[in-house]
Amino acid sequence: MFKKHIGFLTALSIGISLVGCVEEFEPELQEFEDNLVVEGTITNELKHQTIYLNRTYTFEEEQPSAEVNATVTVEGGGNVYAFQESRPGTYTSINEFRAQQGTPYQLRISTHDGVKYHSSEMQLPNSTDIDELYVERFTTDLDEEGVGIFIDNENVLDGSKNYRYEFIETYKVIAPDWNNTALINVPDVVCDRTVKTTRERDEQVCYTTVASNAIILANTENLSGNNLRRFQIRFINRDNYIISHRYSVLVRQYVQSNEAYSFYETLRDFSGSESIFSETQPGFLEGNIQEDVNTGRKVLGFFDVATVSEKRLFFDYEDLFPGEELPPYADPCQRSAPKIAEGHGPEPRCILESLVNLDLIRFITDNEEWEGPQSDGGPFIVVPRVCGDCTVLGTTEVPEFWFE
Amino acid sequence: MKKIFMSFMLLVSMQYALAQESIPRISISLTNVSVLEALQAIEEKTDYQFYYLEEWVEDVRVSGTYENTQVSLILDDLFKDTVLNFYIAEDNKIFLLQNSQIYDTLPKDFFGKSETLEDDGPSYDDIQDLGPLFLNAEDSGVSRGMPVVKIGRENRNNRQRTFTLRGKVTNARNGQPIPDLAIIVEGDSGGTSTNANGNYSLELPVGENVIRTQGLGIQDSRTKIILYNNGTYNFDLNESVEALDEVVVQGNLDRNVETAITGVTLIEVEKIKNIPLVLGERDILKAAVTLPGITTAGEGSAGYNVRGGRTDQNLILLDNGVIYNPSHFFGIFSAINPFSTGSAEIYKGNVPAEFGGRLSSVFDITTKDGNTEKFSGEASIGPVTSNIVLETPIVKDKSALLVGGRATYSDWILQALDDEQLNNSTASFFDVVAKYNHTIDDKNEIKATGYFSRDEFSITSDSIFDYSNRLVSLKWDHKFSEKTTGSVILSNSEYKFGIEFDGESNDDFDLGYKNNETEVKLKMKYLHSDKHKFDFGISSKLYVVDPGDIVPLGSDSEVTSLTIPQEKGLESAVFLSDSYEVNDKLLIDIGMRFSFYAALGASAQRIYQDNAPRNSGTFVEAQDFDNNEVIETYGGPEARVSARYFITPDFSIKASLNNAYQYIHTLSSNTTVSPTDTWKLSDLNIKPQEAYQASLGLYKNFEGNKYELSLEGYYKKQTNLLDYKVGAQLLLNEAIETEVIQGDGKAYGVEFLLKKNEGKLNGWLGYTYSRSFVKLDSEFGEERVNNGEFFPSNFDKPHDISLVANYKFTRRFSASANFVYQTGRPVTFPIGSFAFNNSEFVFYSDRNKFRIPDYYRLDLSFNMEGNHKIKKFAHSFWSFSIYNVLGRNNPYSVFFVTENGDIKAYQSSIFAIPVPTITYNFKF
Repeated sequence: MFKKHIGFLTALSIGISLVGCVEEFEPELQEFEDNLVVEGTITNELKHQTIYLNRTYTFEEEQPSAEVNATVTVEGGGNVYAFQESRPGTYTSINEFRAQQGTPYQLRISTHDGVKYHSSEMQLPNSTDIDELYVERFTTDLDEEGVGIFIDNENVLDGSKNYRYEFIETYKVIAPDWNNTALINVPDVVCDRTVKTTRERDEQVCYTTVASNAIILANTENLSGNNLRRFQIRFINRDNYIISHRYSVLVRQYVQSNEAYSFYETLRDFSGSESIFSETQPGFLEGNIQEDVNTGRKVLGFFDVATVSEKRLFFDYEDLFPGEELPPYADPCQRSAPKIAEGHGPEPRCILESLVNLDLIRFITDNEEWEGPQSDGGPFIVVPRVCGDCTVLGTTEVPEFWFE
Repeated sequence: MKKIFMSFMLLVSMQYALAQESIPRISISLTNVSVLEALQAIEEKTDYQFYYLEEWVEDVRVSGTYENTQVSLILDDLFKDTVLNFYIAEDNKIFLLQNSQIYDTLPKDFFGKSETLEDDGPSYDDIQDLGPLFLNAEDSGVSRGMPVVKIGRENRNNRQRTFTLRGKVTNARNGQPIPDLAIIVEGDSGGTSTNANGNYSLELPVGENVIRTQGLGIQDSRTKIILYNNGTYNFDLNESVEALDEVVVQGNLDRNVETAITGVTLIEVEKIKNIPLVLGERDILKAAVTLPGITTAGEGSAGYNVRGGRTDQNLILLDNGVIYNPSHFFGIFSAINPFSTGSAEIYKGNVPAEFGGRLSSVFDITTKDGNTEKFSGEASIGPVTSNIVLETPIVKDKSALLVGGRATYSDWILQALDDEQLNNSTASFFDVVAKYNHTIDDKNEIKATGYFSRDEFSITSDSIFDYSNRLVSLKWDHKFSEKTTGSVILSNSEYKFGIEFDGESNDDFDLGYKNNETEVKLKMKYLHSDKHKFDFGISSKLYVVDPGDIVPLGSDSEVTSLTIPQEKGLESAVFLSDSYEVNDKLLIDIGMRFSFYAALGASAQRIYQDNAPRNSGTFVEAQDFDNNEVIETYGGPEARVSARYFITPDFSIKASLNNAYQYIHTLSSNTTVSPTDTWKLSDLNIKPQEAYQASLGLYKNFEGNKYELSLEGYYKKQTNLLDYKVGAQLLLNEAIETEVIQGDGKAYGVEFLLKKNEGKLNGWLGYTYSRSFVKLDSEFGEERVNNGEFFPSNFDKPHDISLVANYKFTRRFSASANFVYQTGRPVTFPIGSFAFNNSEFVFYSDRNKFRIPDYYRLDLSFNMEGNHKIKKFAHSFWSFSIYNVLGRNNPYSVFFVTENGDIKAYQSSIFAIPVPTITYNFKF
């Protein structure tokens, strides 16, 4: 709990910047090491449990490459649970199972090139449910206005003091400039002719679902009664379009062992904003996985066994900001009337045709000032696609859990 | 001896007036008596004693009858037709002066008396070539009243440019030799000091030299020596009777060659006045960093790394009391007031046996004694801080008080900034120092010092951070006999910090850390003989550490009050050293210290399984200890042996061997000293650190100490260094031992220093090649770093060059430059990415595998002294300086941040642009 606030030292770096500076730079590529990365949490939920295996990757690469064709098993309570590769790098248990109290679990991996790894034996900590998940209109210390999503945990059992949170947020998006007229191209001599037609696909109301990627940790070690009160999971600025209509968040709480907590904590500290006065000594972050036969090959990641509880919350913008102006949409939705073509001669650039072909615009209305190819603009007033088509941001399918 | 009285002349009128009131009146009648008889008659009627040379008064006869007349008026009258003048000093001494005769007989622009002494070498008559030296216009004002002595005859066949002047200095009153008197050659050369028998020997360039003598209790003298050959000149000096305006004792000018000890540096505040400043602060510790072997991790980092040692291995003493955090504002300023500081002696090689408890170095900083003669002071006004030191006599000539204070107005600067976040911030600091010195009698002297420094800042609106050092020390010096002196020292110091957090949620808190140490030390000096000089004593120090407590702030805070139990330890030592002069060439300093440490209860010590890494899983039980019950003891002998051998009189070779134990350690997860670093005592689980160092050096002075050259190498081995597991949480952790690893260290290096002490251009050039490594090995993965092999420490900077140069254009104007180059310090770089928890993270190389870019910086300053009129109220000094003239963006740290799933690399620097500063100092 305390350590979180040491983060204020970060601000000191700003203080010192009255004479100094912090600037971004492009790091040079150092010697790269290709290592296995293991991520897996077995929970007390009865389900197909999942283990992810991939490789480390260089700064230039966008994505990790999956570790394919590995053999993955979890041993615990006298059982061996086999996993199979459901997608590249994602290994799912063949059978459903749940982690039991008082049983040590161990992950075993054998990669396709025959290197064997194992994790330490992990045990399931006491479970604690989320007591209260709530949202409040909130102003941060830095005078930022918005909504805060908080958690209260009361009457926590002994032995559960480390929490890690994940959330999945789902929000409704309404395209502000939606209408049911679509533009299509009809083949023509030089440039295709763009004409209006009736739109068939629903593009007005969508739902976007995003999973958290921050490491959110709390522990009650220094708090009396093991209670966690008003712990902030998420803050959303009031100008963020995602809360414009209806917003929902599912918060999953993992009760973790000390070992797992400290791993995640270190990982978070490594990546968090740093202060020039309190830099963490970085180094190779060792998890609980190692080679069966030590050859000095490094392996990253952690195998954890955790208890999970989850809660979902809904709110409307109106609930918190009644009668107030909506946040700006995801795009400023600048209107324009693109020309049919630019340039003369046998090969002009066909502008409107390309915009329609690439599906970059949505129709608003006819351009009344348009009098033919000699006019300044084009025949239609249009907006960027996202303003009339919410599927750019989400899907029109209503999630199962959703209610209005 | 005649010459000596001459220098009184300037002061006569003034002092005479002051003395007038208390002069007794007598009645006397004299008729054509010799002056001798007249003076005897006055002596009989008063308490006065006359001092003069008989030859002056031999042929003079005086007459006069006086009724109830002041003695001074009688003398005025008696001497009105003679060349005699007089001066009434305190304690009823009247000095006769013979002066006007000299003026009458000398050339108009040459106020002095010339005399020819016997000549050691062959003579040659023609000295005309050197004639113009006498008429040097610049010197004519200075040499007023200065005796001129010609030594030897020029020998045209002699191509030598320097000759040796020898002689003896005696006290004019009793004929006793005066030891330890500074003999200074003004201008371009160095100087020397007299030995125990009052003898001196000085290499001087041929021609004119002005020799100044200075010593406590001895009146200053200046003599112009025109040297043509080797010769002898004896000084016959009077005891000091005038108010000396700040005596600067400059004995031991050739100490670097002469002492037996290796790796010792003396920094005098006066000498660093011209080093370019950052933000206008003259700084004794910053000056130390320009010397070989002492570095910091970078700008804005507190703490010093001495010869590959950690920042917690330096014993920083202010008047014998320990200062735990000698810096303000994260090391940008040092917390030692430069105006109140006399000098700093830095031991980085062999540490004298009287000091212990830290492995790498001792910074022995002494506050100057207050002026017992008159009220005086010094002040400076800079852009960020102001500073004032005042000295006042309490009992004239016996005791004085010095008070100094320094404070910042950076709050004002922060508030003037546009940035909203910054102008809500505050940052303030101050330090105060007071010293009282009292000479009770010949045998007893007492000195007391009090010091307090405090920093407070609040950069975010919800937190306040502060730290402070407090120190009190008391020293009683007693002289048992001519050969035996002793001191009793009592000191107490306290360091603490606190954090107050008052935010939005239910975890507001107030956190505090404190440590306190009290030491009693008795040290004795016994000058057994010319060959043996012994230093010995005992000391004992009690540490009380409150490692941290946290209390809830406000009624709805759910933070549990938590107090990490107090730690106590007693560190004691006995020490003995003998400075043994085997022969003229070989001096051996054999020192031995035996230190003993006991960790004391009350405490609950946690016991862990054997042969397992310490963590919560291997915890077995807590063992309780009662108050003051001994938990564990550590200790051992510490050798402090060094030797010096003169190859030639100004060229020596020295070697030393020493080891030390350290029982208190900082806990810091940072490269540099951070204000949240705490100190932890050795206990059942944490062993003391140990270091062994061997060093060997060559020292050579040229041209009468004008140049000093030294080359010193060392090799150091350390064990049980404290290091930390990755991501260790050190603050408010009851089970610190589960976060730390103890490992080995080794360091070696060569230090080169060339110093030019005098002349228009002076300064120094230092170059150091040094390496420093750490090894953290264990059979358990979590206690092993870099596969258990040696890796460069955080402050391993192989090449380090620093150049400090001053150039005096005239007496008033001077310019200085300071250039520093250092290899970039090691860092741990991210070498790739990995995906985890829907996010991208970097993973790091082995620890300290890479380096940040090299560091270099040039600072310039231009200094202007106020004019040198004697009667002026204050002597002023302007300094204009530019820090980092080249605007080099020296990366101080490099770090990587995951923002929105992307990795961004940042480098931070403190002073990336040239920082100009103007400071005004004045002295009165």
